[in-house]
Amino acid sequence: MGDRLKLAAWCAICFLTCSAAYAQQQVIGTPPEASNMKLVGTSDLQARSAYQPTIHHQGDRWIAYIGHHGGSDEIPAPVNPQTGKAEPNGTSIVDVTDPSQPKYLRHLSGQEGKYEAGGAQMVRICDGKALPKGDRNAVYMLRTFGGEAHEIWNVADPANPVLVTRIAGLKDTHKNWWECDTGIAFLVSGAPDWRTRRMTQVYDLSDPAHPQKIRDFGLPGQEPGSTGAVPTELHGPISTGPSGNRVYFGYGTNKGGILQIVDREKLLSGPKEPTADNLRLPEIARLPMSAFNGAHTTFPMLGMPIAEFARDKDGKTRDIVMIVDEAILNECNEPRQMVWFADVTVENRPMMISSYTVPEASGTFCERGGRFGAHSSNESMAPVFYKKMAFIAFFNAGVRALDIRDPFHPSEVGHFIPAITAATDKRCVKIDDKNRCKVAIQTNNVETDERGYIYIVDRANTGLHILELTGPARAVAGLP
Amino acid sequence: MRRRPLIALAITLLGALSGAAAYQQAGPRQDEKSVWREIAWPFPRDGWPAGKAYRCDSCGGDVAISVRPKIGFCNCDRGVADDDEVDRVADVDLVNEHFVPLSSGQLVRVADMPGRIRTYELPPAASTRHAVGIAVSRGCDLLVAVAHGNGDVSAIRRAALAFLATDQMTRWMVAVMEGR
Repeated sequence: MGDRLKLAAWCAICFLTCSAAYAQQQVIGTPPEASNMKLVGTSDLQARSAYQPTIHHQGDRWIAYIGHHGGSDEIPAPVNPQTGKAEPNGTSIVDVTDPSQPKYLRHLSGQEGKYEAGGAQMVRICDGKALPKGDRNAVYMLRTFGGEAHEIWNVADPANPVLVTRIAGLKDTHKNWWECDTGIAFLVSGAPDWRTRRMTQVYDLSDPAHPQKIRDFGLPGQEPGSTGAVPTELHGPISTGPSGNRVYFGYGTNKGGILQIVDREKLLSGPKEPTADNLRLPEIARLPMSAFNGAHTTFPMLGMPIAEFARDKDGKTRDIVMIVDEAILNECNEPRQMVWFADVTVENRPMMISSYTVPEASGTFCERGGRFGAHSSNESMAPVFYKKMAFIAFFNAGVRALDIRDPFHPSEVGHFIPAITAATDKRCVKIDDKNRCKVAIQTNNVETDERGYIYIVDRANTGLHILELTGPARAVAGLP
Repeated sequence: MRRRPLIALAITLLGALSGAAAYQQAGPRQDEKSVWREIAWPFPRDGWPAGKAYRCDSCGGDVAISVRPKIGFCNCDRGVADDDEVDRVADVDLVNEHFVPLSSGQLVRVADMPGRIRTYELPPAASTRHAVGIAVSRGCDLLVAVAHGNGDVSAIRRAALAFLATDQMTRWMVAVMEGR
C-alpha cells in the first residue's frame, strides 16, 4: 500500500511538472493572449515567412506591402492560390482599407532560396509626387530581391506592379531607408569588394528610373583593402532627412551592437573614396553596446519633452534613440535581446538610460519554442503614436505596446500574442545532434498606420494580424 | 617446484602488459613530438561563450591555440565562403586587432567540417609574431580556432592542424557542434 502511494505521488509530481512545462505551449485552436490590444483582422499571407510590413495611404485606399523571407525546407515555394503556381516568397500586397476584411491583392515573387537566402525581405514606399523627379502618377516600391539586388516597382495599381529599375550584383541586401521628400536612399548591401557582409550604399533615387550612386559607407576597417579586425556589420539606418541632418546607423543584430550618429550632409557631400579617414569624417559619435547585444533598429525620437524634467532649467527635452536588438537563437540559447533607450541630447556623449524586456516567467517563453526576445519596432513617425508609444515585435511573446512618454522609465501597457494555426511552422533546437522542435508564434516585425492600427507579421508563416489598442493603452496614445 | 613456472608466466605476462601500457602512453607522444596542455581561456568575455585553449611548448616554439563554436553565426547556405569571412570570425582580432594577412587563405577540413584557413602577421609590438585563423562550418554554425606563436608560421599552421585532428579534439569539436 505504501509503495502504491509512493508510486502515485511520483506520478502526480511528474504529471504536474510536465504540465507546468507545457502549460504555455501554444496549441492550435486556443485563443490569442492579449492585454489592452484587440484583433481586428487577419491575412494568412499565403503562409509565407514575413519580415517588413509597410503601410501606405494610397489615394483613398490603405495598402500593406509585406516583405518575405525565402521558403522553408519543406515548402521552398508555396503555391499562390491566385495563380495556382508555386512561387518563391517575395512581396505580399494587401488592401487593408477595411482592416477587418483585408484583401490579398498580389504576390510578387522574390528570389528563389530558403530562409534568409531568398525572398524579398525589405520594402519601402514613396509616392511619385513626393519624390523630386518622380512620375507624379506613380507610387514606388523599393524592395530587396533576395540578397542579390534592390528593385523599384511602380505600384500605382497595387495589384499589377511594374518593374522600374534594378540595382544588382550585390550580396546580403537588407533593411533600407528611403527619404521620400529627397529621394536619398541608404541601401543596405554587401558590395563585393568590402570586407563586411553588409554596409551602406547611398543612392539618389529621386528619379527612380535612373538611380545615381553617391557613395559607399561603413565603419573604418570594413572598406576594401583594409586589414585587421573587421567592425560589426551594418543592420539598418534611419535618417531624419535634411531638416534633422542626422542618420542613425544600427550595427549588429544580437552581438557587438553599435549606434553610430552621422552628419547626413557630410555623408552626402564629403569625400567619397572609401578610405578610413573619409569614412570617419561624417561620424559624430558612436555608442558601443555590450558584446551581448546588437542594434537591429535605431529609431530616433528627437526633442521629447520629459514631464519629470519640466521644471528643470536645462535639459527638459531630450533626444532619444530607441535601440532594438534582434534575438537570433531559439529557446534562449543566447543572452537576452531587448530594447534600449539612449539619450543622445549631448551628441558626442550618447548614454543608455533605460531598457525593457518581457519578463520571461510571465509566459515561460524560454520553453515555448522558437525565438524569445526583441526583433524590431514600428518605424512610422506618424503623430498618432510617435514619441508616445512604441510597438516591439518580441517573437514568441508577440507584440508589446510600450508607453515611452518617459523614456527613462518605459512601461508595457499592452500585448498581443496571436494564436498559432495549421500553417505555423516549427522551430527546432539541437539536442544530442537531434532536432527537438516546437511550434510557437514568431512575431517578427511590426508597423503602424496613421489611423492607429498596428500590423504584426509572423516569421513562422502565421501571416498578418491587424490590431488596435483598447482600454488604458488607448489613453496613452490619446485615442478616443 | 610446480610454482616456479607459474610465477615465471605471471612475471612475463605482467611485463608484457606493462610494456604494452607504456607503449600506449609513450608511443604517440614520441611520434607527435609535441605536448599540448590545456590552459585557461586567455581572452576577455565577449559575445560568444569561451571555448578551450591549449599551449604547446615543443611545437617549434611556443604555440597557443584557442577553439570555440559560434552557434548561429554562419551563412547557412554559403558557409565560410571567403577570406574576409575568416578575417571577421576567426578570433584573430582577440590576439591582436591589427593583423595583416600574409597570403590568400586555403580550403581546410576540421572535424569533417569544411572551411578556410589563413595566416597573418601581427604588428611588432604584439606579444607574438604570427597567427593562423581557421573557420569551418556546419549548417548555420561555425567552429573557429586561432593559433599564434613567434616561430615560423608554417610550423604554427602545421602544429595547429595536427592538434585539431587528434581524436581528443575531434571528439570535443563534434560534441560542441552537436549541442552536447
